[in-house]
Amino acid sequence: MARDSAIPPESFEEILAWLNPDRNVAATMYVQLRHDLAKMFLWGRCADPEGMTDEAFDRVAKKVHDVRPTYEGDPRLYFRAVANNLIKENHKKIKNQLPLEGIDLSGPAISETEDNIAEDIEECLQLCLQKLSIDRRELILAYYVKDKQAKIDHRNDLAQKYGITVETLRVRVFRIRESLANCIRRCLKRKRK
Amino acid sequence: MKEEILTDAVLREFLLGNVNDEEQAQIEGLFLTDSEARERVLVIEQELMEDYLEDSLTAEDRERFLSRYGQTDAQLQQLRITKAIKDWALRENASQTTPASPSLWRRLRASLLLKPAFFAPIAAAAIIAVVVGGIWFNGRMKRAALLRELAQLNSSASLRDVPAQMALLELRPITVRSLEQATEFKKSADVHIVELRLPWIQKESYPSYQAEVRPLSGGDSLIVPNLQAENDGLLIIRMRLFTNELNRGQYQIRLSGIDSGGVVGTTEEYAFIVES
Repeated sequence: MARDSAIPPESFEEILAWLNPDRNVAATMYVQLRHDLAKMFLWGRCADPEGMTDEAFDRVAKKVHDVRPTYEGDPRLYFRAVANNLIKENHKKIKNQLPLEGIDLSGPAISETEDNIAEDIEECLQLCLQKLSIDRRELILAYYVKDKQAKIDHRNDLAQKYGITVETLRVRVFRIRESLANCIRRCLKRKRK
Repeated sequence: MKEEILTDAVLREFLLGNVNDEEQAQIEGLFLTDSEARERVLVIEQELMEDYLEDSLTAEDRERFLSRYGQTDAQLQQLRITKAIKDWALRENASQTTPASPSLWRRLRASLLLKPAFFAPIAAAAIIAVVVGGIWFNGRMKRAALLRELAQLNSSASLRDVPAQMALLELRPITVRSLEQATEFKKSADVHIVELRLPWIQKESYPSYQAEVRPLSGGDSLIVPNLQAENDGLLIIRMRLFTNELNRGQYQIRLSGIDSGGVVGTTEEYAFIVES
Protein backbone atom coordinates (compact mmCIF):
# COMPACT_ATOMS: atom_id res chain seq x y z
CA MET A 1 0.00 0.00 0.00
CA ALA A 2 1.46 3.37 -1.01
CA ARG A 3 1.77 6.11 1.57
CA ASP A 4 0.29 9.49 0.74
CA SER A 5 2.68 11.68 2.69
CA ALA A 6 6.24 11.67 3.86
CA ILE A 7 5.66 9.43 6.89
CA PRO A 8 8.69 7.31 7.83
CA PRO A 9 7.93 3.63 7.12
CA GLU A 10 8.25 2.57 10.77
CA SER A 11 5.75 5.24 11.88
CA PHE A 12 3.41 4.29 9.09
CA GLU A 13 3.52 0.66 10.22
CA GLU A 14 2.92 1.73 13.80
CA ILE A 15 -0.11 3.78 12.77
CA LEU A 16 -1.50 0.77 10.93
CA ALA A 17 -0.87 -1.49 13.95
CA TRP A 18 -2.56 1.07 16.20
CA LEU A 19 -5.64 1.19 13.98
CA ASN A 20 -6.02 -2.59 13.91
CA PRO A 21 -3.81 -5.62 14.59
CA ASP A 22 -4.91 -7.16 11.27
CA ARG A 23 -2.89 -5.29 8.63
CA ASN A 24 -5.53 -5.72 5.92
CA VAL A 25 -8.27 -4.34 8.15
CA ALA A 26 -5.95 -1.55 9.26
CA ALA A 27 -5.17 -0.62 5.65
CA THR A 28 -8.87 -0.31 4.89
CA MET A 29 -9.39 1.77 8.04
CA TYR A 30 -6.45 3.97 7.07
CA VAL A 31 -7.94 4.74 3.65
CA GLN A 32 -11.37 5.45 5.17
CA LEU A 33 -9.84 7.63 7.87
CA ARG A 34 -8.00 9.72 5.28
CA HIS A 35 -11.27 10.18 3.43
CA ASP A 36 -13.16 11.12 6.60
CA LEU A 37 -10.51 13.55 7.83
CA ALA A 38 -10.53 15.25 4.42
CA LYS A 39 -14.28 15.66 4.85
CA MET A 40 -13.75 17.18 8.31
CA PHE A 41 -11.27 19.65 6.83
CA LEU A 42 -13.80 20.48 4.16
CA TRP A 43 -16.38 21.21 6.87
CA GLY A 44 -13.69 23.23 8.62
CA ARG A 45 -13.38 25.43 5.52
CA CYS A 46 -9.80 24.45 4.81
CA ALA A 47 -8.72 25.27 1.27
CA ASP A 48 -6.66 22.11 0.82
CA PRO A 49 -8.39 19.20 2.62
CA GLU A 50 -6.05 16.60 1.12
CA GLY A 51 -2.94 18.54 2.12
CA MET A 52 -4.33 19.05 5.62
CA THR A 53 -5.04 15.33 5.87
CA ASP A 54 -1.40 14.62 4.99
CA GLU A 55 -0.36 17.11 7.65
CA ALA A 56 -2.60 15.41 10.25
CA PHE A 57 -1.05 12.02 9.49
CA ASP A 58 2.45 13.52 9.58
CA ARG A 59 1.76 14.94 13.03
CA VAL A 60 0.35 11.68 14.33
CA ALA A 61 3.33 9.84 12.83
CA LYS A 62 5.72 11.98 14.87
CA LYS A 63 3.92 11.13 18.11
CA VAL A 64 2.49 7.70 17.56
CA HIS A 65 5.38 5.90 19.22
CA ASP A 66 4.91 7.84 22.46
CA VAL A 67 1.12 8.16 22.44
CA ARG A 68 0.08 4.66 21.44
CA PRO A 69 1.15 2.77 24.61
CA THR A 70 -0.89 4.97 26.95
CA TYR A 71 -3.77 6.12 24.75
CA GLU A 72 -7.13 4.64 25.68
CA GLY A 73 -10.04 4.45 23.27
CA ASP A 74 -10.44 4.44 19.52
CA PRO A 75 -7.26 5.84 17.90
CA ARG A 76 -9.38 7.55 15.26
CA LEU A 77 -10.53 9.95 17.97
CA TYR A 78 -6.91 10.96 18.49
CA PHE A 79 -6.72 11.80 14.79
CA ARG A 80 -9.87 13.87 15.23
CA ALA A 81 -8.23 15.90 17.99
CA VAL A 82 -5.17 16.50 15.81
CA ALA A 83 -7.40 17.49 12.88
CA ASN A 84 -9.33 19.94 15.06
CA ASN A 85 -6.10 21.60 16.17
CA LEU A 86 -5.07 21.95 12.55
CA ILE A 87 -8.43 23.51 11.65
CA LYS A 88 -8.05 26.05 14.45
CA GLU A 89 -4.52 26.89 13.32
CA ASN A 90 -5.75 27.27 9.78
CA HIS A 91 -8.51 29.65 10.90
CA LYS A 92 -5.98 31.80 12.71
CA LYS A 93 -3.87 31.99 9.55
CA ILE A 94 -6.71 33.10 7.30
CA LYS A 95 -8.40 35.35 9.86
CA ASN A 96 -7.36 38.49 8.03
CA GLN A 97 -8.33 37.27 4.59
CA LEU A 98 -11.62 38.36 3.02
CA PRO A 99 -14.21 35.57 2.52
CA LEU A 100 -15.59 34.81 -0.91
CA GLU A 101 -18.93 36.43 -1.40
CA GLY A 102 -21.78 36.53 -3.88
CA ILE A 103 -21.59 32.88 -4.92
CA ASP A 104 -24.76 31.97 -6.77
CA LEU A 105 -24.61 28.54 -8.35
CA SER A 106 -28.19 28.69 -9.53
CA GLY A 107 -27.48 31.76 -11.68
CA PRO A 108 -25.80 31.90 -15.10
CA ALA A 109 -22.08 31.24 -15.37
CA ILE A 110 -20.22 34.52 -15.12
CA SER A 111 -16.79 33.71 -16.43
CA GLU A 112 -15.01 31.65 -19.02
CA THR A 113 -13.45 29.55 -16.26
CA GLU A 114 -16.82 28.86 -14.69
CA ASP A 115 -18.14 27.80 -18.10
CA ASN A 116 -15.19 25.48 -18.60
CA ILE A 117 -15.61 23.89 -15.18
CA ALA A 118 -19.31 23.29 -15.83
CA GLU A 119 -18.50 21.76 -19.23
CA ASP A 120 -15.88 19.47 -17.74
CA ILE A 121 -18.28 18.31 -15.03
CA GLU A 122 -21.01 17.70 -17.59
CA GLU A 123 -18.66 15.67 -19.78
CA CYS A 124 -17.50 13.62 -16.82
CA LEU A 125 -21.09 13.14 -15.66
CA GLN A 126 -22.06 11.74 -19.05
CA LEU A 127 -19.10 9.33 -18.99
CA CYS A 128 -19.93 8.21 -15.46
CA LEU A 129 -23.62 7.75 -16.28
CA GLN A 130 -22.61 5.18 -18.91
CA LYS A 131 -21.17 3.08 -16.11
CA LEU A 132 -24.36 3.25 -14.05
CA SER A 133 -26.53 0.14 -14.14
CA ILE A 134 -30.05 0.45 -15.49
CA ASP A 135 -31.59 -0.23 -12.06
CA ARG A 136 -29.53 2.46 -10.41
CA ARG A 137 -30.22 4.95 -13.18
CA GLU A 138 -33.96 4.31 -12.95
CA LEU A 139 -33.96 4.68 -9.17
CA ILE A 140 -32.13 7.99 -9.18
CA LEU A 141 -34.39 9.34 -11.91
CA ALA A 142 -37.50 8.23 -10.03
CA TYR A 143 -36.16 9.85 -6.87
CA TYR A 144 -35.81 13.21 -8.60
CA VAL A 145 -39.13 13.30 -10.42
CA LYS A 146 -40.30 16.00 -8.02
CA ASP A 147 -38.39 18.62 -6.15
CA LYS A 148 -39.06 21.17 -3.42
CA GLN A 149 -42.16 20.42 -1.31
CA ALA A 150 -43.68 17.84 -3.67
CA LYS A 151 -40.69 15.55 -3.26
CA ILE A 152 -41.59 14.47 0.29
CA ASP A 153 -44.88 12.80 -0.66
CA HIS A 154 -43.37 11.45 -3.85
CA ARG A 155 -40.46 9.82 -2.00
CA ASN A 156 -42.85 8.24 0.50
CA ASP A 157 -44.77 6.73 -2.43
CA LEU A 158 -41.56 5.61 -4.09
CA ALA A 159 -40.34 3.88 -0.93
CA GLN A 160 -43.69 2.05 -0.69
CA LYS A 161 -43.38 1.00 -4.32
CA TYR A 162 -39.95 -0.51 -3.65
CA GLY A 163 -41.18 -2.05 -0.40
CA ILE A 164 -38.57 -0.26 1.71
CA THR A 165 -38.57 2.53 4.26
CA VAL A 166 -37.93 6.11 3.24
CA GLU A 167 -34.71 5.92 5.30
CA THR A 168 -33.46 2.98 3.24
CA LEU A 169 -34.45 4.76 0.05
CA ARG A 170 -32.51 7.87 1.08
CA VAL A 171 -29.42 5.79 1.81
CA ARG A 172 -29.76 3.83 -1.43
CA VAL A 173 -30.01 7.01 -3.50
CA PHE A 174 -27.17 8.60 -1.52
CA ARG A 175 -24.89 5.67 -2.42
CA ILE A 176 -25.70 6.01 -6.09
CA ARG A 177 -25.10 9.76 -6.04
CA GLU A 178 -21.90 9.28 -4.06
CA SER A 179 -20.54 6.71 -6.52
CA LEU A 180 -21.43 9.06 -9.38
CA ALA A 181 -19.79 12.02 -7.61
CA ASN A 182 -16.62 10.00 -6.91
CA CYS A 183 -16.50 8.90 -10.53
CA ILE A 184 -16.84 12.56 -11.63
CA ARG A 185 -14.07 13.64 -9.23
CA ARG A 186 -11.73 10.98 -10.58
CA CYS A 187 -12.59 11.99 -14.15
CA LEU A 188 -11.93 15.69 -13.39
CA LYS A 189 -8.56 14.78 -11.86
CA ARG A 190 -7.64 12.87 -14.99
CA LYS A 191 -8.67 15.81 -17.17
CA ARG A 192 -6.44 18.19 -15.19
CA LYS A 193 -3.42 15.91 -15.59
CA MET B 1 -27.66 8.29 22.84
CA LYS B 2 -26.44 7.72 19.30
CA GLU B 3 -30.03 7.80 17.99
CA GLU B 4 -30.75 11.02 19.89
CA ILE B 5 -27.89 12.92 18.36
CA LEU B 6 -28.20 11.50 14.88
CA THR B 7 -31.60 12.98 14.06
CA ASP B 8 -32.08 14.87 10.80
CA ALA B 9 -32.57 18.12 12.67
CA VAL B 10 -29.43 17.86 14.84
CA LEU B 11 -27.30 16.75 11.92
CA ARG B 12 -28.49 19.65 9.79
CA GLU B 13 -27.55 22.04 12.59
CA PHE B 14 -24.17 20.33 12.92
CA LEU B 15 -23.50 20.68 9.21
CA LEU B 16 -24.52 24.33 9.34
CA GLY B 17 -22.06 24.86 12.20
CA ASN B 18 -24.78 25.51 14.74
CA VAL B 19 -24.12 22.99 17.53
CA ASN B 20 -22.13 23.33 20.73
CA ASP B 21 -18.62 21.92 21.16
CA GLU B 22 -19.86 18.82 23.00
CA GLU B 23 -22.36 17.90 20.28
CA GLN B 24 -19.78 18.61 17.60
CA ALA B 25 -17.28 16.30 19.30
CA GLN B 26 -19.91 13.54 19.63
CA ILE B 27 -21.01 13.75 16.02
CA GLU B 28 -17.48 13.96 14.62
CA GLY B 29 -16.47 11.04 16.83
CA LEU B 30 -19.34 8.94 15.53
CA PHE B 31 -18.62 10.08 11.98
CA LEU B 32 -15.07 8.72 12.26
CA THR B 33 -15.78 5.52 14.14
CA ASP B 34 -19.25 4.32 13.14
CA SER B 35 -19.91 3.58 9.46
CA GLU B 36 -23.69 3.82 9.86
CA ALA B 37 -23.39 7.23 11.50
CA ARG B 38 -20.96 8.35 8.79
CA GLU B 39 -23.41 7.46 6.06
CA ARG B 40 -26.24 9.18 7.90
CA VAL B 41 -24.28 12.44 8.17
CA LEU B 42 -23.42 12.27 4.49
CA VAL B 43 -27.05 11.63 3.49
CA ILE B 44 -28.13 14.74 5.39
CA GLU B 45 -25.28 16.73 3.87
CA GLN B 46 -26.41 15.76 0.35
CA GLU B 47 -29.97 16.76 1.16
CA LEU B 48 -28.84 20.06 2.63
CA MET B 49 -26.98 20.82 -0.59
CA GLU B 50 -30.05 19.97 -2.62
CA ASP B 51 -32.18 22.25 -0.45
CA TYR B 52 -29.68 25.03 -1.06
CA LEU B 53 -29.73 24.42 -4.82
CA GLU B 54 -33.55 24.37 -4.78
CA ASP B 55 -33.51 27.62 -2.82
CA SER B 56 -35.49 25.91 -0.04
CA LEU B 57 -33.35 27.12 2.87
CA THR B 58 -34.36 30.01 5.08
CA ALA B 59 -32.32 33.18 4.56
CA GLU B 60 -30.45 32.51 7.80
CA ASP B 61 -29.64 28.89 6.91
CA ARG B 62 -28.65 29.90 3.39
CA GLU B 63 -26.15 32.35 4.83
CA ARG B 64 -24.80 29.71 7.21
CA PHE B 65 -24.67 27.19 4.41
CA LEU B 66 -22.62 29.50 2.20
CA SER B 67 -20.24 30.28 5.04
CA ARG B 68 -19.67 26.52 5.47
CA TYR B 69 -19.90 25.21 1.91
CA GLY B 70 -19.16 28.14 -0.39
CA GLN B 71 -15.67 29.06 0.74
CA THR B 72 -13.10 26.83 -0.87
CA ASP B 73 -12.52 25.34 -4.32
CA ALA B 74 -13.09 21.84 -2.93
CA GLN B 75 -16.46 22.85 -1.46
CA LEU B 76 -17.51 24.61 -4.65
CA GLN B 77 -16.58 21.55 -6.67
CA GLN B 78 -18.74 19.40 -4.38
CA LEU B 79 -21.66 21.79 -4.89
CA ARG B 80 -21.17 21.93 -8.66
CA ILE B 81 -21.14 18.14 -8.90
CA THR B 82 -24.31 17.85 -6.80
CA LYS B 83 -25.96 20.46 -9.01
CA ALA B 84 -24.87 18.68 -12.21
CA ILE B 85 -26.33 15.33 -11.04
CA LYS B 86 -29.58 16.90 -9.91
CA ASP B 87 -29.95 18.98 -13.08
CA TRP B 88 -29.34 15.90 -15.22
CA ALA B 89 -32.04 13.93 -13.36
CA LEU B 90 -34.58 16.75 -13.63
CA ARG B 91 -33.74 17.23 -17.32
CA GLU B 92 -34.11 13.51 -18.07
CA ASN B 93 -37.41 13.35 -16.21
CA ALA B 94 -38.73 16.41 -18.01
CA SER B 95 -37.83 14.93 -21.41
CA GLN B 96 -39.48 11.60 -20.55
CA THR B 97 -42.72 12.99 -19.23
CA THR B 98 -43.60 15.79 -21.65
CA PRO B 99 -47.22 14.87 -22.47
CA ALA B 100 -49.05 15.56 -25.71
CA SER B 101 -51.69 18.19 -25.14
CA PRO B 102 -55.07 16.41 -24.65
CA SER B 103 -56.98 19.30 -26.07
CA LEU B 104 -54.93 19.21 -29.27
CA TRP B 105 -55.50 15.44 -29.55
CA ARG B 106 -59.23 15.85 -29.04
CA ARG B 107 -59.36 18.58 -31.69
CA LEU B 108 -57.41 16.42 -34.16
CA ARG B 109 -59.58 13.35 -33.53
CA ALA B 110 -62.78 15.36 -33.94
CA SER B 111 -61.65 16.92 -37.22
CA LEU B 112 -60.41 13.60 -38.67
CA LEU B 113 -63.61 11.77 -37.83
CA LEU B 114 -65.53 14.29 -39.85
CA LYS B 115 -63.47 13.55 -43.00
CA PRO B 116 -63.92 10.05 -44.53
CA ALA B 117 -60.88 10.61 -46.79
CA PHE B 118 -58.70 10.12 -43.73
CA PHE B 119 -60.16 6.71 -42.83
CA ALA B 120 -57.85 4.71 -45.15
CA PRO B 121 -54.56 6.30 -44.00
CA ILE B 122 -55.71 5.94 -40.39
CA ALA B 123 -56.53 2.26 -40.94
CA ALA B 124 -53.13 1.73 -42.65
CA ALA B 125 -51.36 3.49 -39.80
CA ALA B 126 -53.27 1.35 -37.30
CA ILE B 127 -52.23 -1.86 -39.11
CA ILE B 128 -48.57 -0.71 -39.19
CA ALA B 129 -48.82 0.12 -35.48
CA VAL B 130 -50.21 -3.36 -34.73
CA VAL B 131 -47.45 -5.06 -36.79
CA VAL B 132 -44.67 -2.92 -35.25
CA GLY B 133 -46.22 -3.44 -31.83
CA GLY B 134 -46.34 -7.19 -32.48
CA ILE B 135 -42.67 -7.27 -33.50
CA TRP B 136 -41.76 -5.20 -30.45
CA PHE B 137 -43.82 -7.43 -28.17
CA ASN B 138 -42.29 -10.54 -29.72
CA GLY B 139 -38.82 -9.04 -29.18
CA ARG B 140 -39.66 -8.31 -25.55
CA MET B 141 -40.95 -11.85 -25.04
CA LYS B 142 -37.77 -13.32 -26.58
CA ARG B 143 -35.64 -11.13 -24.37
CA ALA B 144 -37.63 -12.10 -21.26
CA ALA B 145 -37.19 -15.77 -22.22
CA LEU B 146 -33.43 -15.26 -22.71
CA LEU B 147 -33.08 -13.61 -19.30
CA ARG B 148 -35.02 -16.49 -17.71
CA GLU B 149 -32.74 -19.03 -19.44
CA LEU B 150 -29.67 -17.10 -18.27
CA ALA B 151 -30.94 -17.10 -14.70
CA GLN B 152 -31.54 -20.85 -14.96
CA LEU B 153 -28.06 -21.39 -16.49
CA ASN B 154 -26.57 -19.59 -13.49
CA SER B 155 -28.61 -21.25 -10.76
CA SER B 156 -26.58 -23.06 -8.08
CA ALA B 157 -27.80 -26.45 -9.37
CA SER B 158 -26.78 -25.72 -12.98
CA LEU B 159 -23.39 -24.34 -11.95
CA ARG B 160 -22.56 -27.70 -10.35
CA ASP B 161 -22.73 -29.35 -13.78
CA VAL B 162 -19.82 -28.98 -16.16
CA PRO B 163 -21.17 -29.21 -19.73
CA ALA B 164 -18.80 -30.58 -22.37
CA GLN B 165 -19.31 -27.69 -24.74
CA MET B 166 -18.20 -25.01 -22.31
CA ALA B 167 -15.15 -22.72 -22.27
CA LEU B 168 -13.64 -20.96 -19.25
CA LEU B 169 -12.53 -17.37 -19.17
CA GLU B 170 -10.73 -15.87 -16.19
CA LEU B 171 -11.20 -12.11 -15.98
CA ARG B 172 -9.55 -9.56 -13.75
CA PRO B 173 -11.15 -6.39 -12.40
CA ILE B 174 -10.44 -3.35 -14.54
CA THR B 175 -8.78 -1.55 -11.62
CA VAL B 176 -6.26 -4.37 -11.33
CA ARG B 177 -5.80 -4.91 -15.04
CA SER B 178 -4.98 -1.23 -15.49
CA LEU B 179 -3.53 -0.80 -18.97
CA GLU B 180 -3.46 -4.44 -19.98
CA GLN B 181 -5.47 -5.54 -22.99
CA ALA B 182 -8.90 -6.98 -22.15
CA THR B 183 -9.06 -10.79 -22.11
CA GLU B 184 -10.14 -12.28 -25.42
CA PHE B 185 -12.67 -15.02 -26.01
CA LYS B 186 -12.64 -16.71 -29.42
CA LYS B 187 -16.02 -18.08 -30.46
CA SER B 188 -16.13 -21.51 -32.03
CA ALA B 189 -18.91 -23.75 -33.31
CA ASP B 190 -18.38 -26.43 -30.66
CA VAL B 191 -18.51 -24.10 -27.66
CA HIS B 192 -22.04 -23.13 -26.63
CA ILE B 193 -21.46 -21.77 -23.15
CA VAL B 194 -18.68 -19.64 -21.70
CA GLU B 195 -18.09 -19.53 -17.96
CA LEU B 196 -16.61 -16.24 -16.77
CA ARG B 197 -14.72 -16.29 -13.49
CA LEU B 198 -14.85 -12.94 -11.80
CA PRO B 199 -12.66 -12.40 -8.73
CA TRP B 200 -14.24 -10.13 -6.12
CA ILE B 201 -11.49 -8.01 -4.57
CA GLN B 202 -13.68 -5.57 -2.66
CA LYS B 203 -13.54 -5.53 1.13
CA GLU B 204 -17.26 -6.23 1.58
CA SER B 205 -18.76 -9.52 0.58
CA TYR B 206 -22.48 -9.97 -0.12
CA PRO B 207 -25.08 -12.75 0.04
CA SER B 208 -25.64 -12.35 -3.71
CA TYR B 209 -24.36 -10.45 -6.73
CA GLN B 210 -25.87 -9.12 -9.93
CA ALA B 211 -24.04 -8.76 -13.21
CA GLU B 212 -24.84 -6.46 -16.09
CA VAL B 213 -23.15 -7.53 -19.33
CA ARG B 214 -23.05 -4.63 -21.76
CA PRO B 215 -21.78 -4.67 -25.35
CA LEU B 216 -19.74 -1.50 -25.85
CA SER B 217 -20.85 -1.34 -29.47
CA GLY B 218 -24.41 -0.67 -28.24
CA GLY B 219 -27.42 -2.93 -27.89
CA ASP B 220 -29.23 -4.36 -24.90
CA SER B 221 -27.45 -5.32 -21.72
CA LEU B 222 -27.94 -8.74 -20.20
CA ILE B 223 -28.76 -8.80 -16.51
CA VAL B 224 -27.85 -11.89 -14.52
CA PRO B 225 -29.18 -11.76 -10.95
CA ASN B 226 -28.66 -13.99 -7.88
CA LEU B 227 -25.05 -14.95 -8.52
CA GLN B 228 -23.20 -16.41 -5.55
CA ALA B 229 -19.54 -15.99 -4.59
CA GLU B 230 -17.41 -19.06 -3.98
CA ASN B 231 -14.51 -18.89 -1.58
CA ASP B 232 -11.44 -20.35 -3.15
CA GLY B 233 -8.94 -18.43 -1.04
CA LEU B 234 -10.24 -15.46 -2.98
CA LEU B 235 -13.93 -14.80 -3.59
CA ILE B 236 -14.85 -15.81 -7.14
CA ILE B 237 -18.19 -15.28 -8.84
CA ARG B 238 -18.89 -17.68 -11.69
CA MET B 239 -21.25 -16.54 -14.42
CA ARG B 240 -22.20 -18.47 -17.55
CA LEU B 241 -23.34 -16.96 -20.83
CA PHE B 242 -24.65 -18.47 -24.06
CA THR B 243 -22.02 -17.88 -26.74
CA ASN B 244 -24.66 -17.42 -29.45
CA GLU B 245 -25.79 -14.27 -27.60
CA LEU B 246 -22.30 -12.78 -27.80
CA ASN B 247 -21.30 -10.82 -30.88
CA ARG B 248 -17.85 -9.78 -31.98
CA GLY B 249 -16.60 -6.79 -29.98
CA GLN B 250 -15.85 -5.64 -26.50
CA TYR B 251 -18.11 -6.25 -23.51
CA GLN B 252 -18.13 -4.64 -20.12
CA ILE B 253 -19.39 -6.37 -16.98
CA ARG B 254 -20.55 -4.46 -13.93
CA LEU B 255 -20.76 -6.83 -11.00
CA SER B 256 -22.61 -5.41 -7.98
CA GLY B 257 -22.97 -6.85 -4.50
CA ILE B 258 -26.57 -7.07 -3.26
CA ASP B 259 -27.07 -7.06 0.50
CA SER B 260 -29.74 -9.01 2.39
CA GLY B 261 -32.15 -6.06 2.11
CA GLY B 262 -31.80 -6.01 -1.68
CA VAL B 263 -29.69 -2.86 -1.54
CA VAL B 264 -27.03 -2.53 -4.23
CA GLY B 265 -23.58 -2.24 -2.67
CA THR B 266 -20.13 -1.90 -4.17
CA THR B 267 -19.44 -2.63 -7.81
CA GLU B 268 -16.51 -4.11 -9.68
CA GLU B 269 -15.96 -3.85 -13.43
CA TYR B 270 -14.47 -6.30 -15.89
CA ALA B 271 -14.09 -6.36 -19.66
CA PHE B 272 -13.56 -8.97 -22.32
CA ILE B 273 -13.38 -9.07 -26.11
CA VAL B 274 -15.25 -11.56 -28.28
CA GLU B 275 -13.51 -12.65 -31.48
CA SER B 276 -15.25 -14.82 -34.02
